[in-house]
Amino acid sequence: MKQFDITEKDDFLKMEIMETLRLVIDPELEINIMDLGLVYAVYVKENQIEIEMTLSSSHCPMGSSIVGGVQNCLEQHYPDYKTTVNLVWEPAWSHKNISEEGKRLLGI
Amino acid sequence: MTNQSQSSLYQLVVTHYLLAACSFLAMAVMLWIASEDLNGHYFHPKLLAITHTAALGWATLIIFGACYQLLPVILETTLYSIKLSWLSLGLFFIGLIFLVFSFWIFEPGIIMQIASVFLLVGIVFFVLNMVLTAKQVKNQNIYQEFMVTASIWLLVTAILGLLMVFNFRYPFLPKDHLQFLKMHAHMGIGGWFLLLIMGASAKLIPMFLVSTKQPVKYLNVAYYLINISLLLFLIDTYYAGINFKTYFIALIAACGITAWLAYVLECVFSRMRKTVDLPIWHTLLSFILLVVALIVLPFIIYHQLKENPLAIRNSNLYGTLLLMGWITALILGQTFKTLPYIAWVKHYEHLTGKGNIPLPANLYNNGLLKVQLVVFSLFCLIFYVGLMVKSTLLVKIGLICFLSTALLYVANVLVVVLHKPKRISHETV
Repeated sequence: MKQFDITEKDDFLKMEIMETLRLVIDPELEINIMDLGLVYAVYVKENQIEIEMTLSSSHCPMGSSIVGGVQNCLEQHYPDYKTTVNLVWEPAWSHKNISEEGKRLLGI
Repeated sequence: MTNQSQSSLYQLVVTHYLLAACSFLAMAVMLWIASEDLNGHYFHPKLLAITHTAALGWATLIIFGACYQLLPVILETTLYSIKLSWLSLGLFFIGLIFLVFSFWIFEPGIIMQIASVFLLVGIVFFVLNMVLTAKQVKNQNIYQEFMVTASIWLLVTAILGLLMVFNFRYPFLPKDHLQFLKMHAHMGIGGWFLLLIMGASAKLIPMFLVSTKQPVKYLNVAYYLINISLLLFLIDTYYAGINFKTYFIALIAACGITAWLAYVLECVFSRMRKTVDLPIWHTLLSFILLVVALIVLPFIIYHQLKENPLAIRNSNLYGTLLLMGWITALILGQTFKTLPYIAWVKHYEHLTGKGNIPLPANLYNNGLLKVQLVVFSLFCLIFYVGLMVKSTLLVKIGLICFLSTALLYVANVLVVVLHKPKRISHETV
């Protein structure tokens, strides 16, 4: 569970961004990237949004679609912000990252 | 990748898939015409024509197309040359048409010879493209080893094939033609198809199923055992033909396949994605057919050693189980994992995250695929029983199912290829 500071103005925006990123779907698994646990962190600085995320595999054929999807989604919803997506491989993605809702969608 | 190069890659890959679908349909029609010859010797002009349509036109063309799309993605690089791929396809397909035609009428003259040269040069260009694409990557892994080694086996298979074609008219090979035919067939099946399928599926199955366990050590075992058994088979068969030692060589290959199946089962049992979709059901059926083909193998050796004509019938069963069963089932499923993805990347990748867009699985007709699985399963049951009990009626009914499968497959491939991109909807935005 992400922790938020209600006295911090940017934290509301971060929460909103995280909800917005639920619109980005992994085209193969058909589950949004938040429930898959691909997004590690969201940073907001002045007019910049920085997303730190991973992929389920470094050779994922859907990788460019997912990263492009994040970029498109944020540019469309936050046109006043410059968006950067940083792919990280540490910590490596594991099935433990999947949320309860994601597990339900996968049929677990 | 620029839009222009993405578009030319799409055209290249889709052309391979369409030509492969046409070859599948042609093969089903040819099988129907030659259905009575299936109970005869496998070294029959029409059966040679059908085998090459299946192995080269159907299976190899699909693999070429999928490699051009997926290898750069898996290796995180770009395809070495699209022009070289077109050149390879042109030479390969022209060569294939004339080779199949000259086998069908059995005219092992200049047309068959030129056709086999065209095919070989087409394959050389493909292998060159693959090796130069893989060379751009620094980190080697077992999946790459499988794919590059498979390409080399394809090249060696084609070289021996070319020598055999010339051997028809100018006999120069030191041993019996049928002995070389066995070597040629096993290099193609074990070296090219098996290794490539093992490598590609080892990467793709855990990805599709979201498997938590991927015991790569099994893959290493499989890789070495298959290659060792192939080399031993070639050396031993060249010098001694099929003999008692062939049992042990087949056992080594069976151990290699078992190691790979153990890997696949581990991926299946540790999968996070519990729902298994239709393409994966086709894939699982293909593995069952491979196991059945392996069970037939010792019977072929046994009857061959006893010089019993049952060896011929079992060889036909083995060959059809591999080409029309294992490889066909795999392609029937995996086409609808790869082709919709390829079409989706062209039509929708740039729109991801912008609104409601179809997903790759929405680009094919699920109903058609369901019927295809049922009809193909019926073919497997009826045709192989018919072949075993030598029933022409059952074989013919089975082949009707096979032809229906081909028609359903072609229709669904067209559904994907002719997909009209939908306008983006912002309902969920």
